[in-house]
Order: sequence, then structure tokens, then C-alpha cells
Amino acid sequence: MQTMIQLEHISKAFKEGIGSRRVQALQDLSLEIGAGEVFGFLGPNGAGKSTAIKILINLIFPDSGRALIAGKNAEDRDVRRIVGYLPENPYFYDYLTAEELLWFGGRASGMEKSEIRERTDLLLTKVNLDHARKRPLRTYSKGMVQRAGLALALIHDPQVVILDEPMSGLDPIGRKMVGDIILELKEAGKTVFFSSHILSDVERFCDRVGIIVGGKLRLVENLETLLAGGATLEDAFLQEVARAGQKEVM
Amino acid sequence: MKPLFPIAVITFKEGIRNRAIYGISIIALLMLVVNFLISQMIMREVGKVAVDIALSTVSFSGLLLVFFVGINLMAKDLDRKTIYMVLARPISRAQYMVGKFLGMVGLIVVSNVILGGFAAASLFMLSRMYATYFQRFSWPMVVLALAFIMLMLILLSALSFLFASFTSTSFIALVLTIVTYLIGNSINDVKALVEAPQAVGITPSPVTVKVVQIAYYLFPNLSFFDIKSQAAHGLALSSAYVCWTVIYGLVYTCLVIAIACLVFSRREFP
Repeated sequence: MQTMIQLEHISKAFKEGIGSRRVQALQDLSLEIGAGEVFGFLGPNGAGKSTAIKILINLIFPDSGRALIAGKNAEDRDVRRIVGYLPENPYFYDYLTAEELLWFGGRASGMEKSEIRERTDLLLTKVNLDHARKRPLRTYSKGMVQRAGLALALIHDPQVVILDEPMSGLDPIGRKMVGDIILELKEAGKTVFFSSHILSDVERFCDRVGIIVGGKLRLVENLETLLAGGATLEDAFLQEVARAGQKEVM
Repeated sequence: MKPLFPIAVITFKEGIRNRAIYGISIIALLMLVVNFLISQMIMREVGKVAVDIALSTVSFSGLLLVFFVGINLMAKDLDRKTIYMVLARPISRAQYMVGKFLGMVGLIVVSNVILGGFAAASLFMLSRMYATYFQRFSWPMVVLALAFIMLMLILLSALSFLFASFTSTSFIALVLTIVTYLIGNSINDVKALVEAPQAVGITPSPVTVKVVQIAYYLFPNLSFFDIKSQAAHGLALSSAYVCWTVIYGLVYTCLVIAIACLVFSRREFP
């Protein structure tokens, strides 16, 4: 299986305030995700999930190590032609409409006009925003913005889809819709890398999961192996968090 | 350079639909209406006063546009992380900066053309009403003055983008832009003053003179672009002055944006 996402010994620290104290957000994180795989990235708040994702999108730079997508360095902007990204709590331009937002995404990714129109119709119907396509985004509810963001992430039919907390702020109907889209992407052979707190969702569609606590990747395992013998993902997650906590104390 | 176009388009749309634009336009229109009242009240040198008020109105509303719409266009992207959706595309940070700036230039040009049109209309009507006071009035000078205002606003906006590229909040960028505007407008006079203090009977310290001289070369000399009084008095400008001012404005703007791109290309967005 071809490796699509590769994080090699990534470390990242942030400065906390004006002082020189640095907080280690990621420590020697290495991870490989194959083409067509759906990978769930789990961890408590502040564990470093978003930091790892932002390094993949080149929003921040690693202190050491490197991030590759389809074999190319994540700092190469051309890589992002095949990557779709949904940020956590996305925020878009107030006065643009969903249609214009998708036009921007398509044009910036080098798509043709007719292709953009076709994909816009398809995606806005899929995320159930067809009725609001000409409304400015500032009139949208939180869930609607999240769905518009998902459509934007998928406008250019990317090979790799990176979703940061795609379920946050969604009602059960919205969550089911996002779940269905992830399953569709999986069927289409796309690579999906997503972070989540909602373990039941992760259980539903992931092939593999990674658990990150305190900036360190504690566990990467096939979901089937992890759940063998009747264990639940919640048990595994809490166990890893507790183990990480003990290590910190020791 | 393909990605510049979509960024410029969404920046322009986001800017032009901003409610602040309506406020600025209303202020400008009111000031142009006031132009009629003031001209009727003084009944002396109506032509000069009318041209001065009309051009000042365009310049003032342009400044409001740069300070309150322009800075927000960039700073809001950083504050609210809207920039994520742009940088998640095959777009470099430098392209983002240039695209955003081009959108802002579009906004300045369009608003200047509209406001300039209103200003010209008010001048046209006043020149019909008080033809005797408009004998030295020259349309080419008014158009040139409007073009220079536009150039000054573009330069100021480039500076605001530079400030936004390294500050963390829009407020600091706004303050820096306003301060630069004030210094840029007065530096020419201040330099003349400290270099020939005997004219006004002051004795500035050598340090002050040096600081002013450095500031003179560091800050943009915005008074070059202010030809309101020449336009009001119908005085001609040499073509060399016009050419050099245009070149100065464009080169300064390009340099500032190049530095902004450089600063921005290493910035992180956690």
C-alpha cells in the first residue's frame, strides 16, 4: 500500500507568552497512513492533534522532523492540490455566499469553471445547503458553517482529506451526514485523516486509530485488533490516557 | 500567479459588501452636499474652496476606507483564522499577501472612482452656478489630484498590510498605520523646519536634526501626493514632478509589499 501521509520524528514547541517558557506540543511524532485508509486521531484536549494537522497543512512549521504527503514535503504548496482540509471550528468570510466560497476553493485549486459549477451543485446538495447557497455565510448557524467548510474541503475532489474535529458543533443529523460522507470517501479510495473526541464515530468508520496524549503518540493500532475480545474504544482510550498520566508522574 | 485572482476577487467582494462602506459613502455624500452650502455662505474664492472641499472629501473617505475596511480585511483573516481556508489551497503566503493587496487596490480604485465622480459632479454644478469664480479652474488638475489621492491611499494600504504582517492584533496595525500617515504627511515640513531653523528662530539639537533626517528617508513622503492647493488655484505642475511622484509611489508600494511578503512567509498560524 502506498504511503499517503507521513510524519517523521516531528517535534514542535510553542512559546507561552512573552517569557521564554516553551510548551512542548509534539514530541518525536512518527506516523504513516496508507492510501485509501481512514485514520482516526484521538486524544484529550490540548494533546497536540490540531498541531500535527496544522503541520501537515503547512500552517505551522515543525521544529524538527518532516511531514510528507504523497511523498512530497508538506511545505511544497503544490501538495495541497490533492489535499482537502477542514479546520476545527472553521470561520469563513462573512459577506460571501456558500457558492462564492466554493468558487474560491475551486479556482484557487486550479479547477475549470464548468467543473466548479458541477461539483458545487453536487456538494451543496450533499451537505444539505442547496437552499442557502446564495445567502451570506454570516447568516449561517454553526452547523451550517461546518457543513459549508466540509463542502469547501471536498470541492477539488482531493485524494487526501484531513478533517480536524469534523463532528464538533453538529447535531445528530449533521453528524450522520458527515459520517456518510467519510464512508463515501472511503469507498472512493480516498485517504481520510481525522481527529475527533467522539469515540463512537471513530469506531464507526476508522480502519486504524492513533491515540496521542501530551504531544506523544501512545498507540497506533488497527481498530479490529483493538476491539478484539469485546474491549471498547473508550476503554482503550482511557487506559492510554491513564498510562500516559502515570508516566508523567513517574 | 494564477491563485492571485481568486484571492483578489473574494477580498474585493468581502470589502465592498462591508457595511462600513455604506457609512463612508454617506459621509462623503453629505460632505459634498455641504460643499454647496459653504460655497453659498462665503461667496469669495468659491472655486478654490469648492475644489479643496471636494478633494479633501475624497481623500478623507479614502483614509477611512484604508483604516477601517482595509486593515480589517487582513487582520480579521488572522484573528478569526479565515486564513486557514486560503492557505489550505495551493497558495503560498506571499501569494496570499499579494492577492489580498490587489483586492484592496481594486476596492480603493472603485471607491475613488465613485467618490471622485460625485466630487466632480458637485464641482461641475458649482462651476455652472458661480462661473466667475471658476475662471482658473482646471479639470486636468482635479483629475490628477484625484489620481494622486488614489496613489497615496494604495501606498498607505501597502503599509497597513506590512504592519498587519507582523503584529498580532488589528488595533496595533491600525495605530501604526495612522502614525505613519501623520508622520508621512508632515515630515517634509518638519525637515525643512529643522534644516533652516533660523527662519522661525528655533535651535533644534543635532540629534533632533539627525532623527528627522532619518525619518525623512524611512517614512513615505505623503505630501508629494497632496496637490489639492495646486488644483484649487489652477496651478500647473511640471511633467517631471508628476512622473517622479508616480514612480515614487509605485516603487515604494512594491518595496513595502515585498517586505510584507518576506515577513509573512515565515509566519506561523497556530
